[in-house]
Amino acid sequence: MITTAPRPYGIAAEFEDAGQLVAAAKAAHAAGYRRFEGYSPYPIKELSEVIKGWDLLSPIVFFAGVAGAFTGFYMQYFIAAAVYPTNISGKPLNSWQMFTVITFEMAVLFAVVATFFGALFFFGFPAIYHPLFRIPGFKRVSEDGFFLCIEARDGKFHPASTAHFLRSLEPVKVWEVDSE
Amino acid sequence: MTIDERQRESARPLRPGEGGRAPVVAGGVSFKSVTRHISGIVLEPNVPLFWFAAFLVAVAALCVLAAAIAILLDVGAGTMGNNIPVAWAFPIANYVWWIEIAVGGSLLSSILHLANQSWRNSINRLAEAVTLSGIACAGLFPILHLGRAWILYWTVPYPNTMIIQPNFRSPLVWDVFGIATYGTASVLFWYFDMIPDLASLRDRAASRSAYVVYGVLALGWRGASRHWRLQEKASRLLAGILTPLVFTIHTVVSFDFAISLLPGWHSTIFPPYFVDGAILAGISMVTMMAISLRAHFNLKDVITERHLDNLSKVILTTSVILAYVYVFDPFTSWYSGDRYEMCLVYNRGFGPFAWTFWTFIVLGLGIPQLLWWKVNRTHPKRLFVIALLIVIGMWEERYMLMVTTLSRDFMPSSWANFAATAEDNALLYGSIGLFLVSFLFLTRMLPMISLYEVRELLPFSKPGGGSVK
Repeated sequence: MITTAPRPYGIAAEFEDAGQLVAAAKAAHAAGYRRFEGYSPYPIKELSEVIKGWDLLSPIVFFAGVAGAFTGFYMQYFIAAAVYPTNISGKPLNSWQMFTVITFEMAVLFAVVATFFGALFFFGFPAIYHPLFRIPGFKRVSEDGFFLCIEARDGKFHPASTAHFLRSLEPVKVWEVDSE
Repeated sequence: MTIDERQRESARPLRPGEGGRAPVVAGGVSFKSVTRHISGIVLEPNVPLFWFAAFLVAVAALCVLAAAIAILLDVGAGTMGNNIPVAWAFPIANYVWWIEIAVGGSLLSSILHLANQSWRNSINRLAEAVTLSGIACAGLFPILHLGRAWILYWTVPYPNTMIIQPNFRSPLVWDVFGIATYGTASVLFWYFDMIPDLASLRDRAASRSAYVVYGVLALGWRGASRHWRLQEKASRLLAGILTPLVFTIHTVVSFDFAISLLPGWHSTIFPPYFVDGAILAGISMVTMMAISLRAHFNLKDVITERHLDNLSKVILTTSVILAYVYVFDPFTSWYSGDRYEMCLVYNRGFGPFAWTFWTFIVLGLGIPQLLWWKVNRTHPKRLFVIALLIVIGMWEERYMLMVTTLSRDFMPSSWANFAATAEDNALLYGSIGLFLVSFLFLTRMLPMISLYEVRELLPFSKPGGGSVK
C-alpha cells in the first residue's frame, strides 16, 4: 500500500518539571499505555521505576571479564611455557604467580571495552537522527525540558484519543510527531 | 516552601555556628544558568585572556619538549644524565610522578562515584581531564627511556620472525599492559560519561560546524529515561571496574621497584605507599586546576568552598598516611638489622642527595599540615600555593627514591653520583607543557563541568521539588 500521509511516530507532550513528568508517566501507565518514553535533562529515578528498561549489560561485562582473564593467562602461559621457554633465575616455566598482574589487566581491559560497546548497543547508538528532534523546542531536553512521548507502535495508540489523553494531563504543549 | 523561598534559603549566607559548611552548589543556580554558562565557555568565543596566556606558555613548553625529544632520538640516550649505576633518574621519576597525578583524577571519577560522594559531581570532569593529560605525559617517559624508542613494539607479544617474546615475569612488562589498560579504560569512561553533555553542546551550538561535530560525538543522545537508566548502570559498572584498576596501576608501578633486590626499594610497604602518594600528588594537582578554572571562568557557583574544603581533607589525610610510612620505613630498616638498608637510611638523610629528602619532607609532609586550619582549606590562593608546593615535593620524593638507592648500592667501588643535564630538564619542563596544552584544550573544547551531574544536585531536580522556569 502506498500512502502519501506520513506515518506518525507518536504524540509528545512537554511538561513543566520532573514531578509533572513522573505523574504523567504514571497516568499513561495506568491508562494502559506501555510503549512510551520520558525525556529529561538528567536521570530521574522515579521515572525509571515507571518506564522499565531491559538490558543484558551485567552478564556481558562479567563474561567479557572472564574471557579477558583467560586470554591474558593463556597468552602468558603459551608464550612463557611453550613458544619461548626462558629460564628466569630458575623459576618454573609456568610461574603463574608472576602472571596474575597481566591476567588482571586483560580482564579489566576486556570488561571495560565490553561495557562501553555493550551500552552503545543497548542504547541503539549511534543514532544521530531521531523523529523527536523535529519538535521545536526539543533541544531544551538537554537543558531544562521534560517530555513524554507515547509511541504509535503502542497497541492502544490512536491519534485523536491519545492526544486527548495527553492534553488532559495539563502539559505545556502537545505535538504530533511524524516518523519520517 | 516555594521555589523562591528555597532558592533564597540556599543562597543565604550561613550564620555563625550554623553547620559552617558551604553548599556543594551555590543558591541561584538553575538548569538553564548552569547549562548556558558551561556550554557558553565552549561555544562562544569569549575566552578570558588568562586562557590564551596560559595556552601560549604551555605551547612554548611543548615546543621545548618536541625539540628535546628530537635531540634525544637523533643523538641518543647519552644526552640524558642517566648512566650506570643511576640508570633510572629523571625519566622514571617523571613517569611515576605523572602516573600519580593521573591516579588522583581517577580517584574522584571512579572511587568517589562508587562511594556515592555527590560533591564530586561538579569537579569530576575536570579531574578526568587531569587524568587523561597525566597519562599522556606518563606514557611518554618509559618510551623515551628505552633509548631506542622506535622499537617500542618489542615490549608487546606478537608473532615475529625473530621468535623472541617479552619476559612476563618482569614488572616492566606488567607496566606496559597496566598503562595501556589504564589509558584505554580512562578514555572510554571519560567519553561515556560525557555523552549527555555533548548533546547539550549540540543543542546549544550556533554554528553548523559545531552542531555537526558535537552532534556526531553525542551519538544521538536524547535524554530518554531508558537511556538514563542504562547510562547510570554502565557508568557505575565502569567505575566499579576502574576502582581496582586505579589501585593496581600504581601498585604495578611500585613493583618496578619493590621486586628488585636493592636497599630502599625491596620492601612490601611499597604498593600502599605508592598509591597513597599518588592520591596526595594527584588530588593536589586537581585542586590547583580547579582553583585556576574556578577563578578565571567564573565557576564559583558550582566549584564552591565545600569542594576546596573536601579536597584539602583528602590531601591532609593522605599526607598523614605518608608520614606514617616515613616513620616506619626507617624502623623496618633498623629492625631488619641489614647494614645496607641502614646505610641507605643514613644516606637519605645525610648523604649526597640529602637535600632531595629534606625538600620532600618539608614540601610533601610539612606543608600539607597547614591544612589542619580551615582558613587555609577554604582560601583559594593559599590552597593553590600549598597544592603547588605539594606537587613539587612529590616530584622531589620520586627523584629521591631513584638517586638515593641507585647511587649507593652494595659495593662502594660502583658508587657514582647523578647530575641532571639540560636534556633532562627540557624533558621534565616540556612534559608540563604537554600536560597543560592537553588540559587547556580538553577544558576549552569540551564541557569542563559535568552538566547533568550538576543538574542532579540542584534542589528542584527531584520530583516534587518544583519548577524554576
